[in-house]
Amino acid sequence: MSFVEVPHTADVKIRAMAPTLETLFSDAFAALMQVLYGPDRNGGKKRKITLDAEDQESLLRDFLSEVLFIAEVDGLVFSGAEIHIEGCHLSATLDGEPFDRRRHAMGTEVKGISYSGLAITRDANGYMLDIVFDV
Amino acid sequence: MIDGVKRVGTNEWEVPIGFLPGMRVPGRFFLSESLGRTLEPGAIQQLANVATLPGIIQHSLAMPDIHWGYGFPIGGVAAFSLDEGIISPGGVGFDINCGVRLFTTPLEFKDITGRRDLVESLFSAVPTGVGAKSSLKVSAKSLDDMMTKGARWAVESGYGLPGDLARCEDKGCMKQADSSAVSAKAKQRGVPQGGTLGSGNHFLELQVVREIYDPEAAHAFGLAAGQVCCMIHSGSRGLGHQVCTDHLKILEQATRKYQITLPDRQLACAPILSPEGKAYFGAMAASANYAWANRQMITHAARTVLSKMFAVDYDEMPLVYDVAHNVAKMEEHHYEGKHAVVCVHRKGATRAFGPDAPDIPLDLARIGQPVIIPGSMGTSSFVLRGTHTAMEKTFGSTCHGSGRVMSRSQAKKKLSGKEVAAALLLEGIIVRAPNENAIADEAPEVYKPSEEVVNVVHEIGISRLVARLTPIGVIKG
Repeated sequence: MSFVEVPHTADVKIRAMAPTLETLFSDAFAALMQVLYGPDRNGGKKRKITLDAEDQESLLRDFLSEVLFIAEVDGLVFSGAEIHIEGCHLSATLDGEPFDRRRHAMGTEVKGISYSGLAITRDANGYMLDIVFDV
Repeated sequence: MIDGVKRVGTNEWEVPIGFLPGMRVPGRFFLSESLGRTLEPGAIQQLANVATLPGIIQHSLAMPDIHWGYGFPIGGVAAFSLDEGIISPGGVGFDINCGVRLFTTPLEFKDITGRRDLVESLFSAVPTGVGAKSSLKVSAKSLDDMMTKGARWAVESGYGLPGDLARCEDKGCMKQADSSAVSAKAKQRGVPQGGTLGSGNHFLELQVVREIYDPEAAHAFGLAAGQVCCMIHSGSRGLGHQVCTDHLKILEQATRKYQITLPDRQLACAPILSPEGKAYFGAMAASANYAWANRQMITHAARTVLSKMFAVDYDEMPLVYDVAHNVAKMEEHHYEGKHAVVCVHRKGATRAFGPDAPDIPLDLARIGQPVIIPGSMGTSSFVLRGTHTAMEKTFGSTCHGSGRVMSRSQAKKKLSGKEVAAALLLEGIIVRAPNENAIADEAPEVYKPSEEVVNVVHEIGISRLVARLTPIGVIKG
């Protein structure tokens, strides 16, 4: 897991660096769960997501938006995700547990995944991501 | 001040055409010298980005609580002509009709000071924070009615007083709501969240009226010095968030279809009268109505607790007003010698219609619309009134709050929620939240002083001070 929170006055800005696109997506996913529910999260219940988008940024935004939706309506808190990406197609298996107010009420609601300032770049060391969560 | 920005008045600044390529109109914002010290270049960039959008009228505007957001800057206002203009979720935000309301009580400071039991009862009565669900399960039909009728659905269902409706912007209902443009996913999120507060900067506060600046307006609004009031800040919850997410995707395609060039993808948009533009507006209006119903249900919960604990009649707690500060509206305005309906986007900005403007309660027609500006959990909130100057300068708009100056990550590092709550208690303010982070995140230190922000709008005249309130009991999500 490799992400940091970068100061942003209104919202939560996350920066992640990873050797592969899958790990980068996984880091952004972990950051989202950390902001929402804090660090104490276990596995057990699985959910699957498949998505297509027109570019990597849209794929990430759509993936995280779908995670927000599933977490809220199914009342699940996720600890991990197995992600496969081919071009602009994503398939993921999320692993989580039911929301428990005593352990998971540590965070802040995320209202949406913003396109503003969303950038995925690549260099010799791998991928880098900046993303803003509206809270 | 940031390079390229020109002063055009005491607290008035212009971002000239050419600051960014493609600007169609200049940017105009209102800020004092001292507030200017915390202005982020990113916010000015966003103000200039909005000025590139098709059909924008006169100026891309920002209020003195301007700060860096996504799409529009927070505090941003822009009006678009119906024939050439666009509508964009980037000018409304994820939390559609996030807004504030205030109701009065016959109680006085001495009745409630130090009453932790009251704060705890309110905290139990209003579901707050991440994962909170309503005790009420609304049916599919009720959800549809919430989206179609707004606050009226809530009042008809027993969550309020008939008189509440006249004291809501648009009477708590945008008639253009189209619940068929709201996705099944958004509706699924809306069902369990009616009457929930949310988290982040949302709150329910018991406040005391400390100062009256304008006795005539205060009297008309039903405010008196020493009186206990209740302020509620919440929005359209997961339903509105999902509507924004869904329609951004649709409008991204529309942006290409209508060959609109954008400096920021979050400004995805479509012509106002296009099928995509109409669908977003209909879904946004449905979400706005859900938010009004939601605030009405929270109001009901708070009134019920107060009437039980203090033997106060429910109808002795009338609504002063309810404002929407994240919304797009079709409004009639005078500009460039014309009188026309335009689409006004307010993203972290409050409508501030002056005397005799449309949609003002009849008994307040001479005074102007009540404007409610929340402070932080330790600083003053304000009631102001709308003015003719706002109608002339800002399409009837003013600020919406204090504006943050410290990020949440810095706040967590620098401040302890426990210490913030202890310091506030010494000032007589009882804070209750689901966790300490929620208190540190929203500590008074992370916001601009609310006095400075409202003083700027008062001095410019885009709204005028009526009363100042301070918190004594704070519930955060």
